Amino acid sequence: MRALTFGGGVLLLALIAAFPFLVNGYWLSVGVLAMFYAIVTASWALLAGYAGQFSFGHMAFVSLGAYTSGLLVKWFEIPVPLGIAAGVIMCGVVGSGVGFVGLRMRGPYLALFTVAFSEVLRIIFVSEVEITGGSGGLEVTPLFRTRSDMPFYYLGVILLAASLAIMQALVASRWGLFFRAIRENEDAAATAGVKVLRFRVLAFAIASAFAGLGGGFFGHYVGILTPDIGSVDQMGLVVAMAVIGGAESIVAATVGALGLEFLVEALRSYGQWRLVLFGALLLLTMRFARNGLLALGWTQVERFDPVRRMRRIIREAGE
Amino acid sequence: MTDYLLIQALNGLTIGIIYAVIAAGLTVIFSILKIVNFAHGEFYMMGGYFAYFAISLFSIPPLAAVLVAMLVSFALCVLAERTLLTPLYSPATERKGDYGILVTFGISIFLRNLALIIYGPYPLRPPSFFTGALIAGPFIMTWDRVFAGGAGIVMLIGLVVFLHRTPWGEALNAVSQSRESAAIVGINDQRFYMLAFGLGGALAGGAGALVGPIYSLSPSMGLIPDTQAFAIVILGGMGSVAGSILAGLLIGISESMFVALFPDPSRSLTYAQAFSLVILMIVLLVRPTGLFGRATTAME
Amino acid sequence: MIGTARLPRRKILAAAGASAALPLLGRRAAAAEPIRIGWVGPLSPPGGYAEGTNMKNAATLAAEQVNAHGGVLGRPVEITYADTRGMPAEGRTAAERLVQQDKVVAVFGEFHSPVALAEMEVFHKYGTPFMACDVWSDQITAKGYPEVFRNAPAVSLIDVAIGQWMVAAGFKNVAIIAEKDDVGLAARTIVQQELTKAGVKYTAVDADPNLTDFTAQILRFKSTTPAYDFFISIYAEAGAYPMIRQAHDLGFAPTPTCGIYNSGGESVDPTFWQNVGEAGKYLVTENVGLPKAAWTDKTKSFVADYHKRYNADPSGAVMESYDGGWLLFDAIQRAGSTDAKAIIHALETTQYVGVRGQYSFSTSHEPAWHYHQFLNAPLTLLQYAETNQGQADAPIVWPRKFATVPYTYKKPGSA
Repeated sequence: MRALTFGGGVLLLALIAAFPFLVNGYWLSVGVLAMFYAIVTASWALLAGYAGQFSFGHMAFVSLGAYTSGLLVKWFEIPVPLGIAAGVIMCGVVGSGVGFVGLRMRGPYLALFTVAFSEVLRIIFVSEVEITGGSGGLEVTPLFRTRSDMPFYYLGVILLAASLAIMQALVASRWGLFFRAIRENEDAAATAGVKVLRFRVLAFAIASAFAGLGGGFFGHYVGILTPDIGSVDQMGLVVAMAVIGGAESIVAATVGALGLEFLVEALRSYGQWRLVLFGALLLLTMRFARNGLLALGWTQVERFDPVRRMRRIIREAGE
Repeated sequence: MTDYLLIQALNGLTIGIIYAVIAAGLTVIFSILKIVNFAHGEFYMMGGYFAYFAISLFSIPPLAAVLVAMLVSFALCVLAERTLLTPLYSPATERKGDYGILVTFGISIFLRNLALIIYGPYPLRPPSFFTGALIAGPFIMTWDRVFAGGAGIVMLIGLVVFLHRTPWGEALNAVSQSRESAAIVGINDQRFYMLAFGLGGALAGGAGALVGPIYSLSPSMGLIPDTQAFAIVILGGMGSVAGSILAGLLIGISESMFVALFPDPSRSLTYAQAFSLVILMIVLLVRPTGLFGRATTAME
Repeated sequence: MIGTARLPRRKILAAAGASAALPLLGRRAAAAEPIRIGWVGPLSPPGGYAEGTNMKNAATLAAEQVNAHGGVLGRPVEITYADTRGMPAEGRTAAERLVQQDKVVAVFGEFHSPVALAEMEVFHKYGTPFMACDVWSDQITAKGYPEVFRNAPAVSLIDVAIGQWMVAAGFKNVAIIAEKDDVGLAARTIVQQELTKAGVKYTAVDADPNLTDFTAQILRFKSTTPAYDFFISIYAEAGAYPMIRQAHDLGFAPTPTCGIYNSGGESVDPTFWQNVGEAGKYLVTENVGLPKAAWTDKTKSFVADYHKRYNADPSGAVMESYDGGWLLFDAIQRAGSTDAKAIIHALETTQYVGVRGQYSFSTSHEPAWHYHQFLNAPLTLLQYAETNQGQADAPIVWPRKFATVPYTYKKPGSA
């Protein structure tokens, strides 16, 4: 079984690397967007699924990162990577602010607060037309001026891999333990000596920074930014991706995002029904497979490998 | 000038009554099921469409159509509750609050996109309840708006009477105070959850049916009232019907006054939308339990 | 087949003989490799999917009709529709798919300027010809991409006309509500320029595209002194209908002392009159289709066909979409091939007569937005005189050379 997973891993890596050569320009562009959604979904899963901070303002940080970078590059003609970095920092700072300010808020209150925050930001971007171009769009300098989307794809893969590595390291560390403790029972965690404030702010800062990274990447790829990217509908898509994949596991959420983005495109001929399907899928997953479809699939795999199952049970008992 | 402000205030009051009805429904759901219903705006939207089709397909008169809309909304919500929300009552479900958020969010996505397909792309307008307008000096308000305000008040009074004067209503109140104590006394909570969710949805649906002739119907019409309802419920205090009524009126009037008085005309309209959201954020920051909320609204 | 290709004599004789068997030809065309053409536009939110759907219907009609007559170059036309939802990222993905996956030879359509701008970049990258239909931003042609043509008027054309009309009609103090997007802003700016030139006062308010309740704002206008004598809304979303209604119900406009205009709200939606009722009488709006008096036989039969099929009158945007398809069919036919450069050249030299009149596209870059722009795009302003009046029957008030009534603006209540 171990050899199978190893072989599977190598195959997967090969596929990812060779992807641009296996598909046409259209599917490549879908791949780029899939990388974007994966980064955003994974960071949301970290914040909401793993650390238990239910923020519906994640897309607001995506748009904040995108607009910050786009505007700085436009006004000051700084190189694009610098602009994106500035966007990341901006989101990290504002994110910690939200985390700090939302300290006393639990569950749905935090969700409502972040929804309001997201909408207010969107309205500002729509209103300040002279600065942002409003709903008419802001033209953003592309990162690469190439005919093919390949550089974007590879950059996306690298950014995703780096983001996942950082997030996984966080999760595996002691900090990860504290996040989970706060998620399960904040009061108990506080009593046990976990510095709740610090970790909440940290969770928000990190997740928002990654969202900003995704936003910067997105903006400098599509070339035109509109405030819709920060809308509640987009947030819903990311939530669906995370939940269907498995909100409590960053990897599962990532797979959910990649899978759903490709699925959305593959089902294009069904038009509006795709989104109805997503909503239904989200509901069914929540109702019958709360840990996500990936976890469901994994338990099926475990049927063939009792050793793996034992290991998982032992691991979870220790958490 | 005072005339003008008075007119704006009265207009805002009518809108506020509608907000209050929507918010009251949200509060009922929160009090009993302890979840925030993110699909509330979609129930409002569906109610509007139910009324429209009741009139156009079954020739039901507009006034009766409002009741029909409320009944169908009630049924739809009970169905949703039975199929999707029952895990909330089982001890095996972890983090029920999160579950409630995600499931109602999912319902919202599902309903909104379904509505787009079923109802088609053109805005629809049901016929007026009453044509013409009430004119008193400089004051003009269409009878449809007057009626919406009046009917809204009737719904709110009906709700309060139901909650405090009928056995079912009192039982609902008991369950909202403490689930365990209610169970001890022998109240079977499952039926009350159905009732609460259905009632909340019926209120939202009724509000949607009332505003159809005023705002026209479109599948995304629930988005804005949704966030406003949240702001109102937070302001009034999650779990307090009286609080959400008052807060609804307050926000309705304030929004109108905002547009009336904000000095920069090029921004007044767009920022008016942000108004209730900013209020929501401020209240959550300063006093998370709202104006009338109970200090210990625990989420299980 | 459309038009006649340049054929050597032998083939002409053969074709003459074969034309007797025209029905058979039609069937043979169906067996040949289809010509794939792409169509882009919003078919779901957050895009303007009502009008997008109408435009798609027009495209379908165009394809069916051309195929019923043997297709293009003897091959059937197959249109692939892409829902771009009013979002630039969707537009870009859709453009990629149309070119790379569906292998279309040309694309037409679109309703939202920022989406068209994103799509254009992809079409420019691959050299695919793009006939932009109902997108008004000057930028679309001003960018000077050889692949991009536009058969709709540009903002610079439309709003100068609107501004000039308001001045000619004698208004002195105008209230403006404009949608907060690229087109709304540009339109408002140009209208304001025209008004300022003539010394007309105005107050402009920008509005979010999702609003449906304008009561407070209208009340504010109503209470302002000096009073406004005209209210123009540059607003194309679903909220346009409630806005018109609210203005009427509150006694703000139209009244004997204050007129009303709406730009962008589709007054030929099947539900327009259902939504606005009495308030639509005396409303002034623009039509980017031909005035009825100038309708060719082609226009008349199209209007009849569209009405029969979709039970509604075609709006200007619908006509643009229909003609957009036919412009491409005609260009491909004249070019004799589906090669992109040949199509582009054929478009530059087109003299196609569609339901909106005769087309031609400028090749001048002065000013920038003239490039590949249909400069003679029809534009008339009309004022409804009765409720439930069809757009084609409404009296035309501007430009005066097309006017069907002696007045430039009719006040409600006047004879």
